[in-house]
Order: sequence, then C-alpha cells, then structure tokens
Amino acid sequence: MVKTDQMSQSERKVMISVKEVSKRFCKELKANMYYGIKDVIRQSFGLAPHNGDLRPHEFWALNGVSFDLHEGEILAVIGANGSGKTTLMRLIAGIYSLDRGAIEINGIGKTTAIFALNAGMNPLFTGLENIYLKGAMFGLTKKELKEKLDFIIEFSELQEFLNSPVGNYSSGMKARLAYSVAIATDPDLFIIDEALAVGDSLFKAKCYEHLQEYVKQPNKAVIYVTNRIRKVMAVASRVIILDKGTLIYDNTDAADALEFYINNCLKGLSEELRETRLRRVQEFEM
Amino acid sequence: MVKAVADLWSGLRDYRFLIRQLVRVSIVGGYKKSFIGLAWMFILPLLAVLVWIVLNRAGVVAPGDTGIPYPAYVLLSTSIWGFFLEIYKSSSNVLANEGKLLIMKDFPKEVLLAEKTVVHLINFAIPLVLNICVLLLFGVRFGWASLLFPLSLLPLLLLGLAIGMIVAVLRIVAVDICTMIDEGMKLLMFVTPIVYAPKIEAGWLSGFIQWNPLTYLIGFSRELLSRGTFFEPAGYLACSLVAALFFLFALAFFRATAKRVLERLVNN
Repeated sequence: MVKTDQMSQSERKVMISVKEVSKRFCKELKANMYYGIKDVIRQSFGLAPHNGDLRPHEFWALNGVSFDLHEGEILAVIGANGSGKTTLMRLIAGIYSLDRGAIEINGIGKTTAIFALNAGMNPLFTGLENIYLKGAMFGLTKKELKEKLDFIIEFSELQEFLNSPVGNYSSGMKARLAYSVAIATDPDLFIIDEALAVGDSLFKAKCYEHLQEYVKQPNKAVIYVTNRIRKVMAVASRVIILDKGTLIYDNTDAADALEFYINNCLKGLSEELRETRLRRVQEFEM
Repeated sequence: MVKAVADLWSGLRDYRFLIRQLVRVSIVGGYKKSFIGLAWMFILPLLAVLVWIVLNRAGVVAPGDTGIPYPAYVLLSTSIWGFFLEIYKSSSNVLANEGKLLIMKDFPKEVLLAEKTVVHLINFAIPLVLNICVLLLFGVRFGWASLLFPLSLLPLLLLGLAIGMIVAVLRIVAVDICTMIDEGMKLLMFVTPIVYAPKIEAGWLSGFIQWNPLTYLIGFSRELLSRGTFFEPAGYLACSLVAALFFLFALAFFRATAKRVLERLVNN
C-alpha cells in the first residue's frame, strides 16, 4: 500500500499539543492597571489570578485555540493584524501565562523564539560583540558560542562588518545577524515571529532552504508567523489561520489555505467588491 | 525557602554568561563613544570627592559629635546611603525599563536583577577606593575590623533589593503607590543619621531615628570603617535578620507576580 503524505503526518510524534487555549487582554488602560493590581494581590496570597468570565473592557485575544504540532513540521500561522498570532507564540514560548486550557510539550529540550530581531542588541557594540550578547540571551554558554561562532558568521554573511557597531547596520543586516544567532542555538522548537520580513530575498531564500533541511533532523519543528501570505507557499508544511483569536483553519495544503484565508478576509463584501479586492491581493502577493 | 534560594542560584548559574555580557554592556556601553572611556569611572567620583575636601578646608561646623571630621563623616555616610538608594532605584525600575526585552526573550527575570546588582557593586567600589583615600587625608585611621566593611553592607543590599523587587512589580500596575514610595525613599535620607550624628536631640525625630532600621544598618557600617568599632551590634543584627527575611519574601513575591504583570506593560 502506498503511504500518502497525510498518513505519514499523523504517524509522526506530536511535539506540542495546544488544547483549548484562551488568553484575555484588556483594552482600556486604567482597567488594565486595576485588574493588574487585583491579580498581584491574589497572587501574593497564593491564589490564582482571575480566571472567570470577561470583565468590562476585556476581550479574548485567543479563544479556545487547539492544534497539534508534529515532529518535522514547518507550521505557518497566518492571520490579519491583531488576530492573536504573537500572543499564541508568546504562550508557547512560555513568556505569557495561560488563562485557560493547556499546552502540552513533548520531548522539547530547547525552544528558541525570535519576536523582534533587534531585541537585546546594543547599537554601540560591534556585530561580533552582539553575537555574544544575543547568543547569551538565547541561553548559550560561552563555550557553546565559541564553537558556533564560525557557523554564525558564515550564515549571516556579515564577515566584513563584524567589527562595525550594529547601529550602523541596515535593518536587513541586523535581521541576518539575529537570525543566524537564533538558528545556531539548534532548538528543537524554533519560533519565528515576522522575523524574516526585513531580510533581502537572497537571504530569505537561503533561510527557507535551511529551514526545510533543518526539520528533516529528528525531533525538530518550526513555527513561523506571518501576515505576508506569499511566504506561506514557500515553506510551510502545515498552515493554521487565526481570526480574532479563534482558530478557523488547520490544514497541510498551503494553496488551499491561502484561498481560504483570502476568502475569509473578504467575507461580508459584495460579490463585485470581492472580485476586485481578490485581484488586487493576487497581483500584490503573487 | 531554602529551595527558593537554591532555585534562584541554579537559574543564575545557567545564565552566568548572559549576566557577564549584560554587565559589560552596562559598564562599557555608557562610555563607548568616549575617547578616554572607562577613565570617567574614576574622574567623576574624584570630582565629587574634591567638593568635600574644599568643604573641609572651609571649616564646616560639626552638628553633634560625629567622632571624625564632619566632611569625612558626611562623605562616608552619603556613600553608604547611596549604596542603599542606588540598588533600590535600579532594581525597582527593572521591569518597567527592561520589560520590552523581557517579553521578547524567555530568560529568567532574575538574571536582570543579578546584572543590576553586579553593576551596582562595581559602581560603588570605584568611588569607595577614592573615598577611603580622602578619609585617610582627613585623619581617619582604619583598623583591622574595617576590612569587614564590605560584608557589613550586605543587609543594606538585601533591603534595597527587597523594596526594589516589590516596587518593580507595582510600577507596572500601581503607578501612584510607586511615586509615593520613590519620594518617600528620598525623604528617608533626612530621617536617617546621615548628615547628622545618630545621637542628636531633636524631639520626635529622635524617636523615629531610634526605630529606623537604616540608623543601625548604615551606622554600623560607617563606624566599622571609620573607627573599627561596632555601633549598636544588637540593633544591627536584628535589622539584618529582618532585612534577610524581607528579601526572601520579596523574592517570592517577585517570582510569583512579575510574569503576569509584564503582560500589562502597555508601552511595548
């Protein structure tokens, strides 16, 4: 019997199981502070923070999101601005705490997440110094960094600028440096949040190629977040779509995902308007 | 409680390379563009010290029996006070100032506290060496017990960090309380024997001074360095114990609340 792609997918080990995950945020500043004080008081008495229904000014940034991430997958998370993509990534990376649900992690030793590429870089320090700084932030020790230094320099293709201050780098160069350090941490789970948006096409192509090779190793998976849908075609082996905090799509067929996403974005528009918008998006993205 | 400290320690050990890098960035970063660079770390305290030498020459009246020349007394007192206040300032701002970084990276928040502490110790040690020279110039003679001076500052460090950790969390959600605490810390200097002697007769103030733990924590270190004797050892030990317990409490509070409170940091 010939194995289909779909079947081999389901046989693979589940690395992360996101179960009915919800996260609330507050829209109004003072209410946000007030709820914060209440939570701090509850927590100082050893109680859990408020986990009941939404209070005034609150909304679900994520609402009952569930999906599995398998070994060897490159999962693309797409959705419009404010659909909860980054929040979801921060929950998986352990930066935010869950309000409801669970995230089960199975055999992941190292997680590396890149949100803002510049985070933690110091503009007055040289590229080389920033490699050490950034690497240390990803949890590398001095010894590990020394071993990986050649790889980082080679991958970033920044040899000639290594001794210039990073403040003089273009945003694309900073992205290359940070991305190279992140990938050198050799994570089991690699989370990339819009981090490749600024790199030049050549570097991006190289990263995508590298990622596809990367996940062929045992016990590796990648999640990347984007709202540039063309990127999805390039690498993803699975796509999930978020819409206002809800997961509305989960499939391994990238082309089908794109069509679904665009149609969803345009729902509620008249037939005629939808046609023109669709054409415009296609002209822009394809 | 032992577990909490052990946890903290092993967490910091795993990230010791990061702590080193961050300390380097803080110390060297400020002077990166300067041609004389780290020399500023010596020049600035030297200038501050010159002020006191000039004051001494001018002959300032000594308020109360300070035991050593008044300018020397004030110089030493203010530097110990500064030791306490500066660690409070840097630790209490850690979440508000570095919160943006903390929601981008998943390293433990205590790493930044450790970095602030190390930077603080370096920033304190350099002027201290100069201050000691000036004290010698003023005729202060040190004894062997003076060598214990750095160790005697530990309770002050713990107390500053403890208040700092609590305020760091509150600074994100309870701005009004923090403004009050910040101002209170400044006023605290005037109700602590820093620019006057501990045995001053000043009505209600005398009573307050007597119950102010800083009277003992600062006074003990000051007298240890300047005269090699112990100021109110029982009061010092009691306050030290309270400071240590308060530190453990504040650490537990910080660890329990910092993560969630950071989600409410709006300016990211």
